[in-house]
Amino acid sequence: MKVIICGAGQVGWQIARHLAGEKNDVTLVDVNPELVRRATDTLDVQGVVGFASYPDVLEKAGARDADMLIAATHSDEVNMVTCQVAQVAFNITRKIARIRAPNYLGALYGDLMNNDRLAIDVVISPEREVAEAALQRLAAPATFDTESFMGGRAQLLGIQLDEDCPVLNTPLRQLNELFSTLRAIVVGVRRDGRLFAPDPGDQLLAEDQIYVFSHFEDVTRAIEIFGKKTKKQERIVIVGGGNVGLAVARALEARSTRVHTKIIEKDRAVAEAAADALERTIVLHGDGMDTDLLMEAAIDRADAILAVTDDDKTNLLVAVRAKQAGCQMTIALVNDPTLAPLIAPLDIDAYINPRATTVSSILRHIRHGRVRAVYSIGDAEAEMIEAQVLSTSPLSGRLVRDIEFPAGVLVGAVMKAERVLKPTGDLRIETGDVIALFTMSSDVPEVERLLQVSIDFF
Amino acid sequence: MWARLAELPLLVVLLAVVGALAFIPAIHGLAVGDYAVARDFFYSALILLIVTGMLGLATVAFAPRDPAQSQLASLVGAYLALPFALVLPWWQALPDTSFVNAWFEMTSSFTTTGATVYAPDRLSETLHLWRAISGWYGGFLILLAAYAILAPLSLGGFEVASGRVPGRRSASSTQSQRMAEPAQRLGRWAVRLLPVYAGLTLVLWIGLMIAGERATTALIHSMGTLSTSGISGQSALAGAASGFPGEALVFVFFIFALSRRVFPVPGIAAAPGGIMADPELRLALQILGLVLITLFFRHWFVGGGVEDADNASEALASLWGVLFTAASFLTTTGYVSADWQTAAEWSGIGTPGMILLGLAILGGGIATTAGGVKLLRIFALLRHGGRELERIIHPSSVGGGGNDGRRLIQEGAQLAWVFFMLFAISIAVLVGLLTLLGVSFEPALVLAIAALTTTGQLAELGSADPILYGDLSAQAKLALGLAMILGRVETLALLVFLLPARRRR
Repeated sequence: MKVIICGAGQVGWQIARHLAGEKNDVTLVDVNPELVRRATDTLDVQGVVGFASYPDVLEKAGARDADMLIAATHSDEVNMVTCQVAQVAFNITRKIARIRAPNYLGALYGDLMNNDRLAIDVVISPEREVAEAALQRLAAPATFDTESFMGGRAQLLGIQLDEDCPVLNTPLRQLNELFSTLRAIVVGVRRDGRLFAPDPGDQLLAEDQIYVFSHFEDVTRAIEIFGKKTKKQERIVIVGGGNVGLAVARALEARSTRVHTKIIEKDRAVAEAAADALERTIVLHGDGMDTDLLMEAAIDRADAILAVTDDDKTNLLVAVRAKQAGCQMTIALVNDPTLAPLIAPLDIDAYINPRATTVSSILRHIRHGRVRAVYSIGDAEAEMIEAQVLSTSPLSGRLVRDIEFPAGVLVGAVMKAERVLKPTGDLRIETGDVIALFTMSSDVPEVERLLQVSIDFF
Repeated sequence: MWARLAELPLLVVLLAVVGALAFIPAIHGLAVGDYAVARDFFYSALILLIVTGMLGLATVAFAPRDPAQSQLASLVGAYLALPFALVLPWWQALPDTSFVNAWFEMTSSFTTTGATVYAPDRLSETLHLWRAISGWYGGFLILLAAYAILAPLSLGGFEVASGRVPGRRSASSTQSQRMAEPAQRLGRWAVRLLPVYAGLTLVLWIGLMIAGERATTALIHSMGTLSTSGISGQSALAGAASGFPGEALVFVFFIFALSRRVFPVPGIAAAPGGIMADPELRLALQILGLVLITLFFRHWFVGGGVEDADNASEALASLWGVLFTAASFLTTTGYVSADWQTAAEWSGIGTPGMILLGLAILGGGIATTAGGVKLLRIFALLRHGGRELERIIHPSSVGGGGNDGRRLIQEGAQLAWVFFMLFAISIAVLVGLLTLLGVSFEPALVLAIAALTTTGQLAELGSADPILYGDLSAQAKLALGLAMILGRVETLALLVFLLPARRRR
């Protein structure tokens, strides 16, 4: 498939890397010749230097016979116009645009987005995705990563195992028998920086990071079994009142249980805009690094702090300072992937990578067909794929134990007619079932063959 | 012709309207057979129209240096000068009265105060109608002035919403865009407001007549309600033939003095979130609730709960009495419910009139016919207070409510405070003046508040013993009449009018 990606920023770059790795014909367009050169050097992509919305630039990028266009430049307007040009001048069938400004989003999620008006098929809003990710982290405080699947009926939890975890050094098979009613399964283990899909005979060790795929009703129990406590979160401090912070605060206000939220924002105008948009949330104006201000926000009694300013280092330092002041849980927004290894030494409980969330949501839309959700785990090392089983699929009509999954693939759950089931060897997979698979990146093509869905969705 | 009319000085136009209005009592006198009074009004009307005709010819080339400032001057001038024109027929129809009394009566009517020096049965119905018309006209003038004269100058309560320095026009209108010609603005607003104001009066009039009231009394009460003058004819509203339905109707129309948003006039921005989201109306409801607690529910806490058969009906009667009278004095109208006496006894608080004094000081909405400090200023002060409390807890917190909301609690509250202090000082000075003129302290206080809030009826209810305006000395009447004008035009507007001209010299 031929894909044009406009904008070689972090998101564009990552998507290009993903798609090129899956043997697609990828062309990257960017105004910065240096970025384009670097991309063509390191990735298996073609590069075109130029302004993405100009028709001649798009033509040079091969828009005539392209199947998909992903507009991920820094400017909302350029992204929208690029999609429009792609529609009108080149009739590209599938157009994805990243839109940041909430003012556009309100209208776009309405009916502006319709193909015959603004020619955008899918709108990706990084801020919105990040806000959702932040809320998920808050909902499961003991985890370092979460994502919901199967329409919210199942969740992928990333759990860091401590010394006092009660289930260490026990083979997974034995655990499965021990907690036979628990609808959860360990799908991935990261040990010494290496991610792998565990065998039933594998044991869990302290300092492991594990990925558990669980029925949503069993999330709390699963977390407790792995030695973490879930605690209700009532006082939350958000540092940074921009789009992300505001969206999170809005969602917290909308909750039925009362959550005391405070926002700290440095910019007066942004703080005022946040105060206008929110009802119960208290907006404080000042520097989030200021100890006095943090104390004013009662950081010592807060259940969680969410550092979501646009500066990675501020976020990390605020999180550290809050932890020091007695905040239970710290979550930081980190754009720069090279800072991610600092998270553990700094004792930050979780981090959100906007790039990863955006890439995940764009991938989900690329793998159209019967794939319903894709979540990229770690640094694109593995994916959690949720897909519907087609009648043509070799999976259909067979028992789970009889299917020859590659070594790096594990079944997380099977959903039959709205009911999420724990995969057992004698569970028969039928046409129409929804199956969630943990897949190491190297095994993605094989999984796609099994699901009989290729990236071609036409 | 309208264009020519608009070029005339405002004061001349206003004077001509007085002449035209004087035909109404003339017709009324003719209809009820009071020919002498009818003739007096007819001749006065003619004289006034001829005089204004000549004045109009003389001032047709009138071109003030600053039209907006000149209109403010005309407004103040109207309250000073028009009572003399209004007095003309009165003085002829009631020859045995002193001029000060007649002037006081007309000033009090025209400023929508409604205080009267005469016993109700001394005046004929036609004369009562003239009082009501004067009040109605004065009410319309202040309504019109609020939009056409005071709002552009950021006065009359609009300074709280805009946060601009009173008396100064917004920057955009002086620089980039041509400001609408003040005379044109006046004409435009008059055309917008008059049908609504007159129409509402008509609706209430018809409603009261349906409720069983005589036509003249119904018209007087209808005019008294819409203009918040609270003027009654020979029979007070409490003893009116329309009874409870009439009171209920009048009660409904009090809402037009509580918030400008209720007026169905194009050009008045509707409140975001509907009428019930209007801060003034909400504040008014809260205030009424508070009064109910102190006067009505107090009975069960303190009154001991008299358990007799009449209790239920008495409770309902006093509930209504409290509600109606409180709303009436909050809008600075001054009508008293027939059940007020029951309510006063029910509450057991002794002198519930003190509460009415407080209500009248709070006043109605801005840009309505009501007087007092006005609800929007109170709202701004309350919000400011709440915000300051919030800032004690979170010193660096940021207030919400949008730019308008923040302006209201910062500059708006400051200006509201300035106004409030000016109001308080006016009361103090007036009380001092009245005591110098021989009025004892308590009546002086009640009279001062009554005059400055344009709620003349407070004299009757505000203190333990009713105070009669007729018993006052001529000087005291003069002082009170001027205070009414001060209360009507608002001290702030008067200062804006007076200070620059004097100080710059």
